[in-house]
Amino acid sequence: MSVSVSSRQQILDRVRGGTKSVSKPKEALAEAYAALPRDYVRAGRLSREACLELMIERLREYDAEVVECTPGELPAAIASQLALSGKHVFVAPPALPAEWLAAGFDWKVDHDLTSAEIEVAEGVVTAAFCGVADSGTIVLHHSDTEGRRVLTLLPDWHLCILRASQVVETFPEYLGRCQQAPTLVTTISGPSATADIEMTRIKGVHGPRFLHVILVNDQGA
Amino acid sequence: MSHTANHPVLDPRFAQPFPKAVLPVLRNPQLRKNVAHAIDVIQAKRAKLVAEKTDWQELRTAASAIRTHALENLGFYLEQFEERCTAAGGTVHWAADAEEARKIILDILHAENASEVIKIKTMTSAEIQLNPFLEASGVKAYETDLAEIILQLGEEEPSHIVVPALHVNRSQVREIFSRTMGLKDLSDDPKELTNAARNYLRQKFLKIPTAISGANFLVAETGTVVVVESEGNGRMCLTLPKTMITLAGIEKVLPRFQDLEVMLQLLARSATGERMNPYNSLWTGVTPGDGPQRFHVVLLDNGRSSILAKKTERQTLKCIRCAACMNTCPVYRQTGGHAYGSVYPGPIGAILTPQLMQMHYAQSLPYASSLCGACYEVCPVKINIPEVLLELRSQVVNQERGKFVRFFDPMYLGLRVASVLFSRAWLFHTAQFFGGIGARLITRKDGWIHSMPSVGGKWTQTRDLRGFPSQTFHGWWAARGQQPSKEAK
Repeated sequence: MSVSVSSRQQILDRVRGGTKSVSKPKEALAEAYAALPRDYVRAGRLSREACLELMIERLREYDAEVVECTPGELPAAIASQLALSGKHVFVAPPALPAEWLAAGFDWKVDHDLTSAEIEVAEGVVTAAFCGVADSGTIVLHHSDTEGRRVLTLLPDWHLCILRASQVVETFPEYLGRCQQAPTLVTTISGPSATADIEMTRIKGVHGPRFLHVILVNDQGA
Repeated sequence: MSHTANHPVLDPRFAQPFPKAVLPVLRNPQLRKNVAHAIDVIQAKRAKLVAEKTDWQELRTAASAIRTHALENLGFYLEQFEERCTAAGGTVHWAADAEEARKIILDILHAENASEVIKIKTMTSAEIQLNPFLEASGVKAYETDLAEIILQLGEEEPSHIVVPALHVNRSQVREIFSRTMGLKDLSDDPKELTNAARNYLRQKFLKIPTAISGANFLVAETGTVVVVESEGNGRMCLTLPKTMITLAGIEKVLPRFQDLEVMLQLLARSATGERMNPYNSLWTGVTPGDGPQRFHVVLLDNGRSSILAKKTERQTLKCIRCAACMNTCPVYRQTGGHAYGSVYPGPIGAILTPQLMQMHYAQSLPYASSLCGACYEVCPVKINIPEVLLELRSQVVNQERGKFVRFFDPMYLGLRVASVLFSRAWLFHTAQFFGGIGARLITRKDGWIHSMPSVGGKWTQTRDLRGFPSQTFHGWWAARGQQPSKEAK
């Protein structure tokens, strides 16, 4: 595509020409970047207990259901949430621990399920990468326990298992937990919503309408 | 459909000047009520959530510095983004203008044999008038954002960059949906209306294999693209199709992944008054087994690079499209978005649109402001919009200076007369004397001028003017027997 090649050059020339007097040479760029002011709050100030409380409070503000349990109680807590949902067909990411797949339900484990197969499922159970208390955000990096993106998108009901040790207070603390920049991220702050009609918040447009969270206290107490 | 008319309503090249374009809006009480209601709700939510953030000003300072740094070194960061995105399996295209961007996108769609495409809300695609072009080229584009569906089905134009259908109320939405979706028993309950949109789109998400999105941010360090949304229509479009085309202005680049911790916190609170918007999606090129396996990014210039060269104007490109400026603007509140004749309304539109048009069109927009500065105060990336407005006004005046019309324009005539009068003290005093007599003729008994003759009538059309005092300051000073020159010693 010769047209595009020349447009590329043309755009870059115009950009470089326009910023000639202010742009930094390549070698000095990292230093200039490092000198940018970053005086905002990065580390949280709350105690662990208060941080977890805040996470739960924020999630509930989004109308998400939150229950707490110990690691030992987790399989039973999952089974109880599934039973309460009144649903039967669930999808699960491929590496979800076997003891999370409660008996008595129809499980479809994601080994290359098609969209049509996922669409007929009523719910999904996944793990998470991180929780951010300040905004009540659940972060998925879409690992084998968090599932492909489509898994937490089509089913109307999402049960997310979050360990207390995964909960941080601030968004910068979440980025601090990334060893390297993740290639895929979905952050979820409450169920899908819109306010496009007269700014009236309506829960549930295209994403899951129901978000349930089990917070597993894995830090002892 | 208004799009298929000779030209779309929101094309700055054909739009009426702002003072003319506002008239129909000012005479439409329903529209003004809809706009004011929506803005009041967003403003209240934003104010509450900004107040609870103890480090708001520090976040703004950081964001402003990051965006400035990115723009000043845009050449480097654009190339880095291209390299990293390509390495991750994406294809990067460069479009110098709207026409080239449309052609690149159509070529990709043709290569995919696509006759339909689903779209995530993108103002950039409205800027290049993509939908009418695709329609004319035989590709049906389906908008998937609720507001965009309302506009597309209702053949309306966007009036806001975050909530583009805020000028439409629930009963109008009910009318549009029941007519176009064939739902006779639809009520005007927003919940039911939202549900109608969900059903309308569900099968399209599952069946149409090609999608178009915009981008909130591009991360140079990693080649990652970020889309921020609420409804999940974005996630649908980003996940289910086989091919994804992202259209992004070249100014959307952030240097590093870490910068998102600043931008995402500011954007959600500024745009919709939420601590975080319901969904943020970040993806990097192509991920085997997850989402579209063919991914294109179209980097659009379309006038942006020409803005970079000028120091004062460069800050316009720091914008992260949160719309806080239009939500707080006393002018936008009265006029809504359509009067700006551009897909970018409000204060940011008033500075962005004329510049994207290289100052050939939309010259009335820099005047569509009272210069109150509220936009600067709320801007999360600290764009000094009043400063840019003034700079653009001076450019407009310079353009007019070279035109013949200035000899007849009352404003220019008046200013030339004033320039002569102010240059000689005796001329000024004489003018003051005769002006005082003239003013007395039109001053009413209550001491106010209720209507002025000629062009002055424009001022007194909507407000009264205090009559001249019987004595001037100079007269009063002289009567006290003190010469200012003696005092100065």
